[in-house]
Amino acid sequence: MSELFQEAILVSILAGTVRIMTPILFAAIGELVTQRAGIWNMGVEGTMLMGAFTAYIVATATGSIWLAVLASMVVGGLVGLLTAFMTATMRVDHFITGLGINLLVAGLTLYWFRIYIKGRAQPTFDGFENVPIPVLSSIPWLGEILFSQRLLTYVAFAAVPAIWFLLYRTRWGLELRCLGENPKALDIKGLSVTGRQYIAVLIGSVMTGLGGGFLMLGFSDRYLADITAGRGWLAIVAIIAGNWLPRGVLAAVLVFALLESIATHVQVLGLNVPHQIFLAMPYLASILLLMGLRRKSSQPLRLGIPYFR
Amino acid sequence: MTSINEPAENLFPEPVPKWRIERRVNPKRSWTFAMYALATLFGLFLSALLLLTSGADVFKAYSALLKGAFGSEKALYATMAKATPLILTGLATVVAFRAQVWSIGQEGQVYAGAMGAYLGCLVFIGLPAWLYVCLIILSGMIGGALLGTTAAILKDRFDVNEIISTVMMNYLIVFLLSYLIGGGPWTEVSTTVVYQQTGPIPAASELPYLLGSTKLHLGFILALTAALVCYVLLEKTPLGYEIRAMGFNPIALAYRGTNIGRTIIIVMAVSGAIAGLAGVSEIFGTAHRLRADTLYGLGYTGIIIGMIGGLRPLGTVVAGIVFGGLASGGLYMKLLAQVPDALVPAMQGILLLAFLCAGVAARYKLVRTEKDV
Repeated sequence: MSELFQEAILVSILAGTVRIMTPILFAAIGELVTQRAGIWNMGVEGTMLMGAFTAYIVATATGSIWLAVLASMVVGGLVGLLTAFMTATMRVDHFITGLGINLLVAGLTLYWFRIYIKGRAQPTFDGFENVPIPVLSSIPWLGEILFSQRLLTYVAFAAVPAIWFLLYRTRWGLELRCLGENPKALDIKGLSVTGRQYIAVLIGSVMTGLGGGFLMLGFSDRYLADITAGRGWLAIVAIIAGNWLPRGVLAAVLVFALLESIATHVQVLGLNVPHQIFLAMPYLASILLLMGLRRKSSQPLRLGIPYFR
Repeated sequence: MTSINEPAENLFPEPVPKWRIERRVNPKRSWTFAMYALATLFGLFLSALLLLTSGADVFKAYSALLKGAFGSEKALYATMAKATPLILTGLATVVAFRAQVWSIGQEGQVYAGAMGAYLGCLVFIGLPAWLYVCLIILSGMIGGALLGTTAAILKDRFDVNEIISTVMMNYLIVFLLSYLIGGGPWTEVSTTVVYQQTGPIPAASELPYLLGSTKLHLGFILALTAALVCYVLLEKTPLGYEIRAMGFNPIALAYRGTNIGRTIIIVMAVSGAIAGLAGVSEIFGTAHRLRADTLYGLGYTGIIIGMIGGLRPLGTVVAGIVFGGLASGGLYMKLLAQVPDALVPAMQGILLLAFLCAGVAARYKLVRTEKDV
């Protein structure tokens, strides 16, 4: 293999990594807000799938991918509303709620998808194009890896410091984090616990829906059943592995995306091993990451425990 | 300046509502039953709305569903055959969830069970028929139990959340199967196209049919036996006491001297073995070759069935038969009313969420306040 070719593959793997990070990062950084508020949303996978499915329907029906992005966020929010109703209002166990949401969405999307494509060829759409940033994108190597990406990829990376600022530098963020540690304190001050929980779940779910939308519109031109393939779960693992800190979450998502990007390049690399091994890497890595994890210092104390006055 | 001690209530008297919601100490059976009946109706209503989105005639679709599920003797046997793996994965859920081990690894354990049994069917070939079938069933149960135990050890030794580890293993096991039957050593030979399946299993290894020409096979008896075993295990043995107590108060149980880690491992081994049995039953009773698509979703549906069955073995059998009816009636509905049978999983999801809400609602009552203030 020539050196030039190797360079090109390396750049391609890294640029792919950044793109693959996008949907998981949206979900992970959004759900970090939810989890910081004490709600352990296990329905991320379902929320993301719903976002991706909606984006597909809207993109093919209207031809507008930005309308599709908007729709995926709205639908993500609707699923979030259901999650919040179950966890914050009905106070059903958070894990069970999430499982229920996942199963419901898996069924709904499959059903509507079958109806949508009944009796015709599956419609396709034109996904996102790259939007190179002027000047920066002409830096050798780095320009191609970081600054020739889809528009929403830049947004996802900008969301990390934005969420950090919201959580750690605003009064709102302080109250929200307090919700995860000691909701009673807020309640005694006369601040609404349930209301804040709703907002936290909605922020997470809207961003997860957006992640699903990007997954649909940024990588492919048609929908497949169960297209999220566990990325919602990876987002949850990234939060735990990242010790509930924005920078840690970012690092964990980077690991998953790098593994997946390598898997998509296996054929180019010409390695003679079953491709399933590479496909399995992110899932295996997530178990290993959680096994090696000893720090859970920043886990919200009341995470996943319904609050009764 | 107002005094700090001044009671705030006097300044802003809160309006007292005439009705308020109160927690029940001991929920009444009739009230609980009414709530679940309401949830079922609500679920059917929402599913009817779903049917409308497909432009189907709701009445026609529902009656086709019912007729396909329980309309004739033949339909009934088909329903029981469909219910067989679902009862088993439901029971696997019951054992784990009663101990508050939130395993959703039933899906992967079904695959592991099917793979273990297929391995057994290759290894033990040539043995007397009854021994052959017994060993196949046993190796399937071991396959499921191994996967379950892995999650338990990860939880006990490494503090890995069991939901996450079981989900990840569900994906991993599917990749393993996809390798084995899609190019690996178990791939069906003599075909040029890879179908992602093994060749047919030896006739001697098939689970025998129970009644003449019906689809009902030995697996159904195994499922009912498993339900009985689960009932005895949970309600009548010291281990069952520990499992139930772990659900209520693990800390107290630890003080009592119970080894929590050991109990979790046993729970997951039992749960995995039962789920593995579902895989055996589906491959050796119905499909007669190992392939992935016949196994898909059995584990996830089992979670719904276990939950709707109230995490009790008997309730799970009933819920399993109802859901088996939905699955086999769904095919009939697809044929007669042109509704995609994917309606069934959507319906199951709706029913689960409705039942969860009903379970909460049953623990409350609406009380009229004595006097107006």
